[in-house]
Amino acid sequence: MLAAAAAGSLGLTGCLAGCKGIKALGPVPGVSAEVVTLEHTISAEEQLVAIYQAAVSQLGDTSITSGNGSDAQVVAAIHAEHVEHLRQLRARLILPPRYAKAKPTPSHAATPQLPSDAKAVIATLAGYERSAAQRLTGDLSAVPAALAQLMASISASEAAHVVYLRRAGAA
Amino acid sequence: MTGKKTTVAALQAALAAEQAASYGYGVAGAHLTGSAFRAASADNVLHERARDNLVKMITALGANPHPAAVAYRLPISVSTAGDAANLAADLELGVVSGYLSLAAVPDPALRRLAAKTMQAAAVRAARWGAPSRAFPGLAAQH
Repeated sequence: MLAAAAAGSLGLTGCLAGCKGIKALGPVPGVSAEVVTLEHTISAEEQLVAIYQAAVSQLGDTSITSGNGSDAQVVAAIHAEHVEHLRQLRARLILPPRYAKAKPTPSHAATPQLPSDAKAVIATLAGYERSAAQRLTGDLSAVPAALAQLMASISASEAAHVVYLRRAGAA
Repeated sequence: MTGKKTTVAALQAALAAEQAASYGYGVAGAHLTGSAFRAASADNVLHERARDNLVKMITALGANPHPAAVAYRLPISVSTAGDAANLAADLELGVVSGYLSLAAVPDPALRRLAAKTMQAAAVRAARWGAPSRAFPGLAAQH
């Protein structure tokens, strides 16, 4: 509070002296491309988590039993890994999201639409995983080294998810 | 470390992982038959090609590629086909780790190469029976 009052006094004095007010400070600095890329990555991962959450709910009663566990169990396990991806990505974002200049344009609808057939759900999820791995690969160049490593690892995890999904869906 | 030194070091790390994988697949293949043997042979060819490509890239940067070791300490003892599959999964996960440094070099094309190679190795590890993991290649704190 004391600091704010002092700053106000200085501001008044400054104006009397002929300054141009707050405009003299110039425009608010923009958010770097790195932050925008990270925000897009977080948003896409949020969407994956939502899609998997919907799939877990949908497959709960209709799962196919396989030698590697039911498809619902496989989807639930992968959902948990996406939640971990999201947690790690969010931990890398220092700025509040509202400061990002550009908002993400999701590659899929905001509300996940899944087919009613269990095998088709698995195939749809595999498609989302492939797209996610490709998108992360394309975004690697725009981020700092440590984040690039995290994104590369997540992309590898997502590529491998396709194998586990196929195995579950093939039962 | 300069950008070039960083890049060479990352390429050497990837090369070491590919060399270890080639050696390990030779051991695994000796315990596999039929479709599993063919899969191991095909995967080994991929690692040999990647190894040769990395040697060229390191040489092009004016550095000397580190030679492969005569023998490697394998992470598991192999005496059955199941052991061989587990070894192959471990080798692939080692390759995922081996390319992690390359994902952080300044050159965007090399970053993409690293990510694609990590994806392919993680897929092969899954096919060989490795359990799913959220952060393949990264240390345990993730």
